[in-house]
Amino acid sequence: MTKTQVSVVVSYSMPFVLLSAIVINNLLQAYGLSGTPSRLVFLSTAFPIGFSIGRAIYLRWSHTLIAFDSQSFSVVKGSKEIATGFWRSYRFVSIIIDRYGRPNLRLYKSIDGDHLDLPISRTNVRPQKIRDRVQGFLETEKSQRVSPRAVEAA
Amino acid sequence: MRAVEEDPLPVDAFERGLIRGRARWIADLTEFFRDYRTDDGTIFSLYARGRTRNSGFLISRFFAWTVLPNYSVALFCVDEEDRIIGLETLRNRIDQITRISKDNELQWAWLIVFSRKNIQPSIASYVSRYDKRELGLAVASTSSKQIVLSNNQIGKSIEKHLRLSKSLGGEETRNV
Repeated sequence: MTKTQVSVVVSYSMPFVLLSAIVINNLLQAYGLSGTPSRLVFLSTAFPIGFSIGRAIYLRWSHTLIAFDSQSFSVVKGSKEIATGFWRSYRFVSIIIDRYGRPNLRLYKSIDGDHLDLPISRTNVRPQKIRDRVQGFLETEKSQRVSPRAVEAA
Repeated sequence: MRAVEEDPLPVDAFERGLIRGRARWIADLTEFFRDYRTDDGTIFSLYARGRTRNSGFLISRFFAWTVLPNYSVALFCVDEEDRIIGLETLRNRIDQITRISKDNELQWAWLIVFSRKNIQPSIASYVSRYDKRELGLAVASTSSKQIVLSNNQIGKSIEKHLRLSKSLGGEETRNV
């Protein structure tokens, strides 16, 4: 699960757009092209240059990717893995609304105890849908752990 | 998967509204559990918890910090599906929530019970006469869209602020 966070890319890119425009403008002046009609074309290249740099920084620092299967999950932010684990380590899952009103997923080992937040608001999934799916994984894990004991008891 | 896109369960629709901040004028519900099992084994289709002081931004945040009390509150939903809501079951649920409220020091709580069956007159009478101020009660029939609210401020807020009738697809609340 992932999604390009456009507002973050824009915030990273804008300083580089401005910087590129200043550099291009200085080059145009140095080569005596500042009075020509083509200067707008040259200056507009500041946008692709700035956005390319901004996007590269975004991908390295802030792009969030949540990968999971029925056994485990991992959260990668930028180039770093910030969380990883197995569903079987957790017992409860909830949707938690952060201070900016964004819904994320919270995994509990015990209710009101240790927990881990998965930043699903930075992906394109619907919170209720993914919460229900994760709840299914937790319940499956629980039943898988319980069944061998039941067999032994029988 | 529980939710079906074309015909979502009333609890799903109600929860979606709460996640989007429908309760913000009365409480800031920040955490939502589904199929929540209490210590005594009772399962609630939806359990939401939060506080009366909302977070906000700048002015609303300052207002909240200076004026609003920071009480803990919770909301419980039960989906009886095709079962008729019985008086004994409802009383048991109320007792459980009263106990949870005491344990978790909740200032107030909401209990909303959904059923596909019509609401029995005895239930309607019981709920509409319920006036303890710590618990707001509502029973709703998803087929007839009938909603009965308890006769207290918290109960009335279920329609006024939480807009329960919207989740049922109805236009307005019909009190018995």
